[in-house]
Amino acid sequence: MTTTDVLKFAAGSVLGYRVRTLLTLLAMGIGVASVIVLTALGEGARRFVTGEFQSLGTHLLIVLPGRSETTGGPPPLFGETPRDLTLDDALALAHSRAVRRIAPIAVGSAGVSYREREREVMIIGSTAAFLDVRHLKMASGRFFSTGDPRRASPLCVLGAKLKHELFGAGPAIGHWVRIGDRRFRVVGTLASEGRSIGLDLQDIAIVPVAAAQALFDSYSLFRVLVEARSDEAIPRARRDILRIIRQRHEGEDDVTVISQDAVVATFDKIFTALTLTVVGIASISLAVAGILIMNVMLVAVSQRTAEVGLLKALGASSGSIMRVFLAEATILSLVGAAVGVAVGYAAIRLVDRVYPLLPLNMPPWAVAAAVFVAMTTGLLFGVLPARRAAKLDPVAALAGR
Amino acid sequence: MRLADISRLAMGAVIAHRSRSLLTSLGIAVGIAAVVLLTSIGEGVHRFVLQEFSQFGTNIIAVTPGKTETFGISGAQISNVRPLSLDDSAALGRLEHVVAVMPVVQGNAQVEFDGRTRRTMVLGVGSDLPQVWSMNVSLGRFLPPDDQRAPRAFVILGAKVRSELFGERNPLGQRLGVGGDRYRVIGVMEAKGQFLGFDLDDAVYVPAGKALELFNRESLMEIDLVYRAGSSAKNVRGGIERILRARHGTDDFTVTTQQQMLDVLGSVLDVLTFAVAALGGISLFVGGVGILTIMTIAVRERRAEVGLLRAIGARRAHVLQLFLFESLLLSAAGGLAGLALGLGLAMTIKVFLPSLPVHPSLEYAFLAELLAVLIGLLAGVLPARHAARLQPLDALRAE
Repeated sequence: MTTTDVLKFAAGSVLGYRVRTLLTLLAMGIGVASVIVLTALGEGARRFVTGEFQSLGTHLLIVLPGRSETTGGPPPLFGETPRDLTLDDALALAHSRAVRRIAPIAVGSAGVSYREREREVMIIGSTAAFLDVRHLKMASGRFFSTGDPRRASPLCVLGAKLKHELFGAGPAIGHWVRIGDRRFRVVGTLASEGRSIGLDLQDIAIVPVAAAQALFDSYSLFRVLVEARSDEAIPRARRDILRIIRQRHEGEDDVTVISQDAVVATFDKIFTALTLTVVGIASISLAVAGILIMNVMLVAVSQRTAEVGLLKALGASSGSIMRVFLAEATILSLVGAAVGVAVGYAAIRLVDRVYPLLPLNMPPWAVAAAVFVAMTTGLLFGVLPARRAAKLDPVAALAGR
Repeated sequence: MRLADISRLAMGAVIAHRSRSLLTSLGIAVGIAAVVLLTSIGEGVHRFVLQEFSQFGTNIIAVTPGKTETFGISGAQISNVRPLSLDDSAALGRLEHVVAVMPVVQGNAQVEFDGRTRRTMVLGVGSDLPQVWSMNVSLGRFLPPDDQRAPRAFVILGAKVRSELFGERNPLGQRLGVGGDRYRVIGVMEAKGQFLGFDLDDAVYVPAGKALELFNRESLMEIDLVYRAGSSAKNVRGGIERILRARHGTDDFTVTTQQQMLDVLGSVLDVLTFAVAALGGISLFVGGVGILTIMTIAVRERRAEVGLLRAIGARRAHVLQLFLFESLLLSAAGGLAGLALGLGLAMTIKVFLPSLPVHPSLEYAFLAELLAVLIGLLAGVLPARHAARLQPLDALRAE
């Protein structure tokens, strides 16, 4: 039998039993579509999270006070140390040639009030460099000017949500607000896109770092953000930071330096593992669809016993009979996979339109992998019925037994 | 036709097409097994997390500075304009129903003994810690109930700090340097292990008043208190709010009961389990399509049989019941097999991977079986109705 004959014969069977074929395609399609949609979800979530971390800044190193002995464990994310990480420490870091700029951060919480409205929010104390290091945008007004960071000027910048809660739609710039027991003049408001993991940048007030230290009566910094000059400078910047702090802290190594890349890589790994797990679970449904294909093929073989007998009597080899049925199984799984890809793609487009915030992303390798797995499943589960057909005894088969 | 006849006929049909029935049931079985296994893992994780959190007891209420609606670290724990003081802690201790109260300050410092140093977590706590966090000393005793404003410089070691600094030597009575100050070791805690990534054994415990001095701060990070079992968390909470409001003048603190935290965690984990079950459900759905396909084929093949049945007086309802029963039989058998398979896999994981918490839940298993039967019913309806609608004459002619 020529290849065309084989294909024609198989296609005839596929088209001959429409309901059965449609249902099999449906089963395969559901499996493939779910795999594709879930991969897109996982991949989208991964890109979203790593993107969020990357948008924290470029070539960023984060210096936190305190250090734990066990490597691999979590760094001391918050808590106190006997020797503060001070503003002078932070400013000294800028002397390293690998460092482009630094932004010290003091953090606390206090009530911010304007007239009769008060809201308790996170207060961040920092310097002019904060805006650039964190890639933030202003909605209106200006950020702090580059002056002496040790001066506690009574200025503040409000997050978008805080501004809205205190001032509504009216202008905020130039007004005085009360933070804790001090008065600050609003010089700018942040653009509302500034949303970041672990910290809602919309609901904060930023004041000069010295003002925050005076407000909270504490000279310890919560973090120092260090921007290295380039990617290559990151290891040098890290060494310099540790050396400078050691010199200033009487030979004690009491800070932890985390690089942004390490954090991004960790999250990347976590999300990849998560996506693979979810997709693995979803591909169980591909196996179930494969079982169905096998079942349908078995039925097809028993229904076409007489036909097979005739073919064999006419001289068709066992090999060509096997090819016929394998071709049928492959057609079923391939078309099913195509249906699945189409449905999955449509679902992704739909989700994209309804929830534009959710970044769905269908990686091409996922489509290729899903189609490949579907085809392999079809072939694999098609082997047994095909062999059964090939082994039929022509005489018995012709007799319809 | 009697029910017995219908079931016998259906059973006969299932058995006659042995390999086909087997494969159809297998499809459902794989789906059910996936659901059972995944929910077992989900339930296991659920229990594990709740257990982690309730190991400190369930009658705990935590008071933190700053007003926040969300869980997690708030800026107020780091710095704030209205500190939560040791006096606040002492005042809460006098509240009715409260059995123990403990201020908490946490930090990181270098501890030093005999030339060996180690950077470790320093917890400033009160003398009630063994009661509040359900932890015990393995050697010596815990901090005495000193006046928190002027406590003696005693330190209790975590199990790991003890072994790192002292090895096999007896640490009791020795002088330990903590961040430059000198403390006398009076006890060693039992090994407790990790909690949410924090190694509780890699810590030293000093009086909270001393820790505030050491870290040069005014505000506590948290006040933990335990109320008498049986008294209502709501009343205690009300009492705490009343006292602190009277002392501070404003609502500048957050009260979180352990029960609240467990409830939130529990609902999050429930959603997670459900999501995982839904993922497994995709396979089950595909298995349902499999039943539908096979039943459609069966109806088509057995047209003549249906015609004959109808010709000798069987009603439409009977034919419908016949095919529905067959489909139910396939799915129920598949469901049972899947249940066995899923539970078996769960048990295997439990034996070979004890670190992965697996807890098969009977409730979910029962639901899964119910779901399988339901799927069989749904998948059977269409083909069965098709069979029932066949005209006896046409059907007979198909022979």
